[in-house]
Amino acid sequence: MLQPSTRREFLGQVGAVLAGIGVPASAPAEVAASRAARSKPRVIVARDEALARGAVAEHGELLRKLLNAAMQKLTGSADASAAWRRLFTPDDRVGIKVNTLGLSTQPAVVDAIVAGLRSAGVPAENIIIWDRFDVELNRAGFRLNRSAAGVKCHGTDAEHYGSGYLPDVETSGRIGSCFSRILAEDVNALISVPVLKDHNLAGVSLGLKNWFGAIHNPNKYHDRNCDPYIVDVASHRYIRPRWRLTVCDGSRAQYNAGPQQHPAYAWPYGGLLVGTDVVAVDAVAADLLEAERKARGLPSLRAERRPPVHIATAAARGLGEADPAKIERLEV
Amino acid sequence: MDNLENVFCHPTRRDVLRWGLACGAAGALGRAPAATAQDTAGVTELAGPKLKGLARHEALFWDRLPDNRVKCRLCPRECEVADVERGYCGVRENQGGRYQTLVYGALCSANVDPIEKKPLFHYQPGTNAFSIATAGCNIECKFCQNWQISQFRPEQVESVLVTPEQLVAACRSRGVPTLAYTYSEPVVFYEYMHDAAEAGRRQGIGSVMISNGYIQEKPLRQLCRHLTGVKIDFKGFSETFYAEQCHGELKPVMATLETLRDIGIWFELVILVIPTLNDSPDEIRQMARWVVKHLGPDVPMHFTRFHPTYRMTNLPATPVATLDQCRTIAMNEGVHYVYAGNVPLHPGENTYCHGCREELIRRVGFRVASNRIRDGKCPKCGARIPGVWSQEQALAFRPQEPPATQSAPTHSGSASPQANRSPGGVSGSARAVS
Repeated sequence: MLQPSTRREFLGQVGAVLAGIGVPASAPAEVAASRAARSKPRVIVARDEALARGAVAEHGELLRKLLNAAMQKLTGSADASAAWRRLFTPDDRVGIKVNTLGLSTQPAVVDAIVAGLRSAGVPAENIIIWDRFDVELNRAGFRLNRSAAGVKCHGTDAEHYGSGYLPDVETSGRIGSCFSRILAEDVNALISVPVLKDHNLAGVSLGLKNWFGAIHNPNKYHDRNCDPYIVDVASHRYIRPRWRLTVCDGSRAQYNAGPQQHPAYAWPYGGLLVGTDVVAVDAVAADLLEAERKARGLPSLRAERRPPVHIATAAARGLGEADPAKIERLEV
Repeated sequence: MDNLENVFCHPTRRDVLRWGLACGAAGALGRAPAATAQDTAGVTELAGPKLKGLARHEALFWDRLPDNRVKCRLCPRECEVADVERGYCGVRENQGGRYQTLVYGALCSANVDPIEKKPLFHYQPGTNAFSIATAGCNIECKFCQNWQISQFRPEQVESVLVTPEQLVAACRSRGVPTLAYTYSEPVVFYEYMHDAAEAGRRQGIGSVMISNGYIQEKPLRQLCRHLTGVKIDFKGFSETFYAEQCHGELKPVMATLETLRDIGIWFELVILVIPTLNDSPDEIRQMARWVVKHLGPDVPMHFTRFHPTYRMTNLPATPVATLDQCRTIAMNEGVHYVYAGNVPLHPGENTYCHGCREELIRRVGFRVASNRIRDGKCPKCGARIPGVWSQEQALAFRPQEPPATQSAPTHSGSASPQANRSPGGVSGSARAVS
């Protein structure tokens, strides 16, 4: 088991364990209490065959229904707004970290998340959709907005020359990186919105791996299946305490040859995976990808020497639960 | 830039003092004074507006893999890179199954430096080198002095676009005899360095590579057809040090040094001595012993002083006594030319004849105060001093070619082997020691 690198990290991990695995320190108190009372973290799989057909952009209403149903199931709330209010308050400044490298997060999925946040009273101006580059967000179909009005949407490298990163390098475990100013200065709550997809080095690119897009030098941390670097980034003080929700976009998935979009391995899964235990969501999603690979006659990720070991590392570090037997997987 | 150039070309006492202070301040801050992303004024003047976007160019040395993946064959990492992803260096990207460099001519640093700053002490002392860099590096030293450019991707630093021809013209117009690829890691901008060095040779400009030596043999040999000198940062002499402090490996660097020896090009070694990490007398002794045995006694070794910086701010600067100890050990092991670096006015900055110990070159910081070498020889005992002492000698160098081998499918460019296989222009005693 990898040891925490600093005294602060160690204390943080101990605190997380004592407070209930995977409960963000800054989440509303009732959520923490509710989660602590449950023995197993929940991961909600919200799927509809109709979502797998046609363009995802045409299914805005369906996505909102699926996501809201998932949020209700996740939080045990009677209605959707109440479910979102369990995790977010009107004072929050929420960063929605999408993944636009290769097969990208669908803007319609993010629209559904924004609608949920708005229903909880989060002002549009307090919401920012972001990733590394403006150009990649554009390519993925997001409309950039750097104005003061409305939901913001832009990359860390919005302007050229890395102006969007903090100037000083910060160490977290084995990584040393400059972090996005969006993380450090603009938000107090985070939602990771990865795509259900394969990754040629890490095995899978899901909610944990998504944070590689928050540092200036992810290329330095691809050795050894990106482990433990993915967890080092996700454990950083700008991310872990603020990360409240993962919504894994499986509307269009890919079970091989990621992260770039590859039609030969496209998988119209037509669903979302939703959870507050950030490791559990990835663990369930990784199992889905492995199962699909097996069904298609492909070798396992381990056989291809790219097992997603970072998920187990994240669990070992106290970020959440990776054991399927200890995860409550529910479907809507 | 022009002011700096005036300092280097026509230094006054005040200039020397100012430069010395600048270096001292930079040392205290742990930053090289001329290696920031903003020091491109001279190039901007040549190239116009700053570069927007990426300077894409077909990369050399890579293989195709299934599913549009590629395998890089430039450096020992051999990154396997999926479509739309980049290699470890951050400046080579797979686009649809074709590997591209993103920094061809994208200069983020450009300065006219004394060649002593590289440091190359046996390569035309007292001359200047037009020194350039792009973003990127293929290792990550926790003590990197230039991390603001070496550890960033090209779109994260300011750059200007300069063609190889423009670069050579800039040297010629300023009367600078040498191009130096330095500051970050030139191996990662291989294609540009290769073309600039080739263009320079054609027009009487030499090229020196200031590198970590993390490069495969084939690209190194192809590059050395155009280079006239090399300096290698020999980070330490243990795999543990390379792995833990540099995210690299020692063995490929040793292989590079042996290849340079076989090629016959002039090269020098720099060892940044870091307290408690690579300064043990035994490790220094083993390193010096290996250098003498495998590279020969004439390869200069520069033991330079570490200053806290980047991710290594918890250690003090290297005591001068430690550098003295390293020098003594290396000299006792038989290395002929051993220097102390980053310690202005230290006697270990000077060059002494290995035959009679006569002082040959006196240095003050990066300046040469006096040079008594004549025709490559000691004026007192007549011993031949190893090195490159004139531009004519530099440009006369031709590498020793390896035995012909079966060609691999690697995308290695179209550069043809040099017809001239003369032993080159390096003077001094024979280096190859098996």
